[in-house]
Amino acid sequence: MKILAVDSSAAAASAALTQEGKILGEFYCNVGLTHSQTLMPMIGGLLKNTRTDIGSVDLFAVSTGPGSFTGIRIGIASVKGLAMPKNTPCIGVSTLRAMAENLAHLSGTVCAVMDARCGQVYNAVFRVDGKTAERLVPDRAVSVQALAEECKKYAGPLFLVGDGAGLCYNSPWFEPLGAVLPPETLLYQRASGVAKAAEEAFREGKAVSPGGLRPVYLRPAQAERALKKKMGESRK
Amino acid sequence: MQKFTTVSPEETEALGEKIGAGLKGGEVLALFGGMGAGKTALTRGIARGLGIPQGVSSPTFALVHEYHGRLALYHFDMYRVESWDDLYSTGFFDYLGTGGVLVVEWSENIENALPESAVRICFQRGKSDNERIITVEGMDP
Repeated sequence: MKILAVDSSAAAASAALTQEGKILGEFYCNVGLTHSQTLMPMIGGLLKNTRTDIGSVDLFAVSTGPGSFTGIRIGIASVKGLAMPKNTPCIGVSTLRAMAENLAHLSGTVCAVMDARCGQVYNAVFRVDGKTAERLVPDRAVSVQALAEECKKYAGPLFLVGDGAGLCYNSPWFEPLGAVLPPETLLYQRASGVAKAAEEAFREGKAVSPGGLRPVYLRPAQAERALKKKMGESRK
Repeated sequence: MQKFTTVSPEETEALGEKIGAGLKGGEVLALFGGMGAGKTALTRGIARGLGIPQGVSSPTFALVHEYHGRLALYHFDMYRVESWDDLYSTGFFDYLGTGGVLVVEWSENIENALPESAVRICFQRGKSDNERIITVEGMDP
C-alpha cells in the first residue's frame, strides 16, 4: 500500500511516500516560509524523484492538528485536492501522535508538546515499549506547569518531543523530572511519522473520503479571557 | 513615548516611511484610532520605508495583506474580528515570530491578544479637520 503523507502543522513542512513501512522518499523543509508556497512543490518533487504516478497512491495521510491554524488548513486542503479526483481514502492523524513515532523505539513515556504560546502547550502522552506508542491521554491544551505536575505520575524515563520540548525542558517545573530532550533529528513531527501513524489507523478502519478530513483545533486557556479590553482597563 | 502632529495624509505617510525605514523585523505595530484617522496612510508610508514598491490598500475584506520588501509586511485589519475564534482564523498567531513586521489596524478589538512588546501607535484628531496627533509608544529609538 502506497501512502503519501503530508505535514505542515507547524514551522516545518514535510512530505513522505511510504510503502509497507518502507520510506521511499521524504522531503523536509524548516525555513519558516509559507507552506502555501512550499508544500505543493515538495510533493511534486517527491513524486517526480521517486518516479511515482499520483494515481498509484493508495492512501493519503495528513496531520490535522493541533498546530498552526493556517498550516493545518494548507495541509488538509492540499491533500483533499490530491485525493478527490479518484476519491482515494484519506487518514487524518493527530500531529502529537505522529511525532510520538520519532521515539517509539524507546521504552518509557513520551510527552509530545507543541508551543501554544502564553505558557501553554498542546500535549498528549504516550507509553512506548520499543515498538509501539500507546496513547495515555487525549490531545489537549495545558499549561507547562500543570503538565509537569501530571508527568510525575508516569513511568520514566520521560522523553519530550515537538516544538514545545525545549520550552518544557528549560522550565523550572520540568527540571526535577529529569526529562530527556531528543536531538534535532528526532525533535519535530515528520511526514514519515504521519504515514506510520496512518498505517495503523487504516488497519483500525479509520479511513475517510477526502471530503471527510477535518481540522482539529485546540484552544489554549487564554481563549477564556476577553479579547477586547473593557473601557477604562486600557492603558492611556 | 513620542508625539507627532501631522496636518495631511501625505505628512502621516511620511511619518510612516520614517518608522518603516527604522524597523529591524519582528515588530508588531498596533494601530489605535477610528475611521479616517490615517491608519492606512501611515501603513502606506511604513511599506514604502520597507522598500515595498506596490500600493497598500486596506485589508478590511481579506483581513490580512502580505507584502515583501526589505522585510515581509503583514497588514491586518481587525475591524470585523469579534472573538478569539475569529482572531485564530486570521492566522494572526502564525505570523508572530516569523521575523516579518505586523501592522495591526483596529488593535482596539484584539488588545488582550497583543504581545507585550507591541509598539502602540494611537491616532487622535487635532484642532483642524486634517490635523492628527499621533503617539508612538514602546518603539526602540
